[in-house]
Amino acid sequence: MSSPDTGRSFFRSRHMEFTVVGVFLVLLTLVFPVLNAHGLLSDYTITLWGKYLCYALLAISVDLLWGYTGLLSLGQALFFSLGGYMFGMYLMLQIGMLGSYAKAGQNPAGLPDFMVFLGHTFLPPFWRPFHSFGFAVMMVFVLPGLLALIFGFLAFRSRIKGVYFSILTQALTYGAALMFFRNDFTMGGNNGFTDFKFILGHSLVDKDVGPATMRGLFMVTALVLLLVALICYWLNGTKFGLVRQAIRDGENRVLFSGYATANYKLFVFVLAAMIAGVGGALFVPQAGIINPDQMTPAKSIEAVVWVAVGGRGTLIGPIIGAISINALRSWATQAYPDSWLIILGMIFLLVVLFLPGGIVSLPAKIMAWRSRRQPPVAPLAATKPAPDRP
Amino acid sequence: MAWKIILRPLLCTVSLALAVLAGGRAMAAQETARATIVRAILTTDDGQKRAIIGSLAGQGDEAIREIFTAWRQDGLFVYTAPDGAKVPVELTGDKDAQGARAAVRVDNGEPLKDAAGRALRLDASQLAAVEHDGRLRLAMKTVVDLLDLGSPLLTKRLRAIQTIGFAQKTDSLPVLQARSQVETDDGAKSELREAIALIQLADPDDGVKIKALATLNELHNSSSYDLIKALRDKAEAAGKTAVTKAADAALAAIDHHRSVVKFFGTLFRGLSAGSILLVVALGLAITFGLMGVINMAHGEMITVGAYATYITQNVFGEGMNFTLPFVKIAIHLPGLHLTGWAYQLYFVAAIPIGFLSAALVGIALERCVIRFLYRRPLESLLATFGVSLILQQMFKLTFGSNNVNVDSPVYLSSNWTVFDITFDWNRVFVIGFAAVIVFGVWLALTKTPLGLLIRCVMQNRMMASCMGVRTERVNMLTFGLGSGLAGLAGVFVTQLGTVGPSMGQEYIVDSFMTVVVGGVGSIFGTVVSALGIGLADQSLQQILLNPVLGKILVLVAIILFLQWRPTGLFAARSRSLD
Amino acid sequence: MITKLQKILGVAALALCASVGSARAADDTVKVGVLHDLSGTMAISETSLRDILLFTFDEINAKGGVMGKKIVPVIVDPGSDWPTFAEKSKQLLEVDKVAVVFGCWTSVSRKSALPVFEKDNGLLFYPVQYEGEEESQNVCYTAEAVNQQAIPAVDYFIAQGKKKFYLIGTDYVYPQTTNLVLLEYLLSKGVPLANIGGGYKKDSAGKIISAGKYTPFGHKDYQQIIAEIKDFAASGDACVISTLNGDTNPPFFKEYAAAGLTADTCPVVSYSIAEDEFRSLPAKDLVGQIGCWTYFQSIDTPANKAFLAAFQSWLKTTKADGVVKEGRVVDSPMVLSYDGVYLWKACVEKAGSFDVDKVRAAWKSGVSFNGPGGKVTTQPNMHLTKTVYIGESKADGQFKILKTFADVYGEPHLKGTFKPKE
Repeated sequence: MSSPDTGRSFFRSRHMEFTVVGVFLVLLTLVFPVLNAHGLLSDYTITLWGKYLCYALLAISVDLLWGYTGLLSLGQALFFSLGGYMFGMYLMLQIGMLGSYAKAGQNPAGLPDFMVFLGHTFLPPFWRPFHSFGFAVMMVFVLPGLLALIFGFLAFRSRIKGVYFSILTQALTYGAALMFFRNDFTMGGNNGFTDFKFILGHSLVDKDVGPATMRGLFMVTALVLLLVALICYWLNGTKFGLVRQAIRDGENRVLFSGYATANYKLFVFVLAAMIAGVGGALFVPQAGIINPDQMTPAKSIEAVVWVAVGGRGTLIGPIIGAISINALRSWATQAYPDSWLIILGMIFLLVVLFLPGGIVSLPAKIMAWRSRRQPPVAPLAATKPAPDRP
Repeated sequence: MAWKIILRPLLCTVSLALAVLAGGRAMAAQETARATIVRAILTTDDGQKRAIIGSLAGQGDEAIREIFTAWRQDGLFVYTAPDGAKVPVELTGDKDAQGARAAVRVDNGEPLKDAAGRALRLDASQLAAVEHDGRLRLAMKTVVDLLDLGSPLLTKRLRAIQTIGFAQKTDSLPVLQARSQVETDDGAKSELREAIALIQLADPDDGVKIKALATLNELHNSSSYDLIKALRDKAEAAGKTAVTKAADAALAAIDHHRSVVKFFGTLFRGLSAGSILLVVALGLAITFGLMGVINMAHGEMITVGAYATYITQNVFGEGMNFTLPFVKIAIHLPGLHLTGWAYQLYFVAAIPIGFLSAALVGIALERCVIRFLYRRPLESLLATFGVSLILQQMFKLTFGSNNVNVDSPVYLSSNWTVFDITFDWNRVFVIGFAAVIVFGVWLALTKTPLGLLIRCVMQNRMMASCMGVRTERVNMLTFGLGSGLAGLAGVFVTQLGTVGPSMGQEYIVDSFMTVVVGGVGSIFGTVVSALGIGLADQSLQQILLNPVLGKILVLVAIILFLQWRPTGLFAARSRSLD
Repeated sequence: MITKLQKILGVAALALCASVGSARAADDTVKVGVLHDLSGTMAISETSLRDILLFTFDEINAKGGVMGKKIVPVIVDPGSDWPTFAEKSKQLLEVDKVAVVFGCWTSVSRKSALPVFEKDNGLLFYPVQYEGEEESQNVCYTAEAVNQQAIPAVDYFIAQGKKKFYLIGTDYVYPQTTNLVLLEYLLSKGVPLANIGGGYKKDSAGKIISAGKYTPFGHKDYQQIIAEIKDFAASGDACVISTLNGDTNPPFFKEYAAAGLTADTCPVVSYSIAEDEFRSLPAKDLVGQIGCWTYFQSIDTPANKAFLAAFQSWLKTTKADGVVKEGRVVDSPMVLSYDGVYLWKACVEKAGSFDVDKVRAAWKSGVSFNGPGGKVTTQPNMHLTKTVYIGESKADGQFKILKTFADVYGEPHLKGTFKPKE
């Protein structure tokens, strides 16, 4: 199932890998906001990078499942969006009387605008608790986690795996997107949620305060990413982490060795869903919109590609992949709008065919290639697996 | 022209009945129909225009139909003679070198001549076109309907009868009754009864009304529902219980009839939706089901078939130009300039062309990408998704981002209505098409040497290779076959919508679900699951009155079903593990 | 180790540079943004708007530009991805510092970009017919409001003696809002509820708040709905009011024609089909269907003819990338984009400045432009007064104009303004 290149990064040990990730994120958390506050980095760049980091969270959740456990989930975009929607509900209710209907005096109840134009006169009951920030944050974890728990329980119990798991998660995502597209669902339909004004009393749109709020959001995102990286790093070192990778490499053998693989997979699936959910929740205020287009199967596949490009089964790979592909997109959609999809498609193809280990395996590949050309110099050094990898 | 001879006595009867019973029209009859139309054309007031046209109702002059047809098709113009007189003319025949066409006077049907008696040829762009709008066309239609009452074509007659009935004008009653004396067709007879009953609903006498309601009850045709309902509400308000009761009974009969029609209609629609799903998923049942390749570019194979159909259509017609992207090679495909039936055959020709072009693209894809990934199915998903993006953009750069249209050939663009259920020809066609393809695939897989090789390679690639089978070649041909089938689907789906670069994306999730539910590796399973999903989807749509909720429920049901039977309906049994 | 770190930082820096980076405009030029999808699902419609904008800029530049400055377009492609609209708007306003942006098609894209424009006090010209219920000070709505499109068409049908109305649309904000208003309007015209087809939507208290049948984007299977319409129209005098979005129209009309419905028995007015969409529709199945816009290519005026000729000759000579040159037509959103650029130019010249606040003040004071579709005049509520045309489709994909309503005032807030007839 997994290719021999998978999971090899150019770091000799995972400790060093984590150190690099940690230093990078800490630097990002400190340097970017400082530069921005002194006007050396534009607000635009801060929000852009904030979004990249959210995508990195999504990519890590894909990597946890695919890179480490061998489960290719095409439902991560769904969990990402669900997290986003949960937090978006809080943000929508924070708009209050600043919405365009309320300003025109047509919205005495302070409903989100899309409800007013659909003719609603009061808030549906399930929306009400979302006035509370705490509840919304809780739901960011609970809803994706719960959905993953139920779906995962059913799927892993009946031993659905491999391709079937991918297709089923794809169907789940597709079904959910159809549901959210419906305006009757009172989740904003195709337009989704937009026009956010406040988060915890801090303005997102004010000309003076807004940039500071965005800086704060950026720092929170970078710190959350650091925390998630820490969790992954810690997990990889535990026995749990080893069993998980064993499942990836040969599930039946693990099963026959007496491990309840379904439970392991279920735990990872739920954890990954929650990480994606947090990513989505942080994405929404920074992107300024969440709508069902974010939960289509194609978005999930795209996230898988970030991981593939960065290097699956590594900690740093998904982060590199998410940031580089999205930065490339920001640039290419302006420089070569006509060729952008072809560039993206070619990257998919080339990575899968020639670089299954992703960017992080590139140095090792080059070294291996060099050493093949110069056989006398330690031919095994480059291909020997890192000591702490099974 | 033979039918005209048969028609004449009929027309005479009708005109006679009119002449006698509609006395008020006797005056107008002195003026020829052509003269009346000329008067209508030259009248500027819209209301008056319609009134004049309306006065033609009941006249049996066949010229009316001809002139009205020309009028509706923008073929009438007003020619201003040198002396200032306005002469309405119809331009006929082909354009000559100056763009002029032969002109025929509307008032007498003779060619338009100048002072010297020479026939004039006129250029349409130099003349004022005779305008028309929806209401005027409706007025014309009413007149033509009465004409059509005597038409030898049953469909025309039926529509004419219906229109007259809905109008509920008591003065058309005698015409209908005269017609019902001579009508021989059963369908037309019952339509006539309905139309007469509908007109009688407007009768002031309650007894007539109740009798008419009884007739309508017996006929239980849904088109009379609104008129009965309106009558019932009026009768209830006026406290006429007998009429209300009769109306209620008639409404109940119609409702019952409607539910029966809905049931069978849904059955047919489910079958056709299932067949479309089957046609679309069959190729995937081979590439994914048999070969285990997750081909996310399956949708683009469908698109290839669809564009092949588009190109075929253009080659049969006027030809087309396009430029290959990046290499900037301009390609000119000359047209065959066919017309009529020969042109209509483009769709038949597109079937093999669509198959072959998609098969070729599939083979190229297999050679360049997929053959490296047989051991890594999940990665074939990613690679083919990349291919799908590239192909979509290529289509866009080659054929433009606008969707293009493939005409429906005449033999696919009408319907049969049996027992009030509409059977669209294209839907009937797809059911047959699906059956033929499935049978063909079954034959190919089980009765040909290639089929034998395909099956053995798919079961155990290694073993087959050891036995001397050229597995590489079999892989290539199998993938080509699967892609070709997707191309066939593409040929058909041009009849459902337009052809665009991203059209394939809409089928991909559905196709995968169909194959998985049917059981990977089982063609028969795909057939059963496609039809089952189609039927379930259409019935849920009917029950929930919502096109999306049905689809969502089907998806949820599929997910739950697969928990119960993870290998689908008909699983290929295997002892292998991992 | 250090080299490895350098590599990572190198990648990061590269990405950073890629995402920033822009050149300041020279003194004799003015930068304007073009924010239309050139890839993804919406490219079908929006590529044409990019083309017409480029044409307009070239036309204005050839005549000396705006206040002596040549227009330099900054074209970005949000790729039919809605969050990217906010991102690209930010880029245009904060990085490229454009004077004005022409863009957006779908309402979700406008809603996504809007907060950025309000925050940065930018100016967006929005050219596509929309649902109303919005009046941002940072958007110039050159688009048709509901009362400049939906209501005149319904009036036309009522005048034609239609009694039954079937409402169908794609499930998004524009059809939902339009149908909400139309339901109120039809009831106020004395059409009984039973004669309004497509189903009703009720709020949780059971009150009917809207009507209509909604299908998702990209829906292909209209069998059931056509069967329902056929049943609805069986008793005559029925019409269909369609707010179906572009790509769902072909399957709808193909099914409509195959089921034996015609424009004579049950005409359809489609608010989203203009000449450009016609290029991909089976025109012969559509003859006699109704369209309602503030511009038709068939308008027979010297101004329109000159405009069309200029556009066609520009198409022949332009060197811009990705412009399809053959078989091009012009439709209302394109002309409203064209009008928008000229109105902006007029506002800038009246204000004597590119400053957004001054341009807005000029807009509110009422500026007129004689466009291809007739005179358009800006209004204090950021909308336009313009002429509305009702047309009937012909086999060649053009519309024959049936009725003209001159100088219709753009009114974005219609909901709740029509009272049911007692």
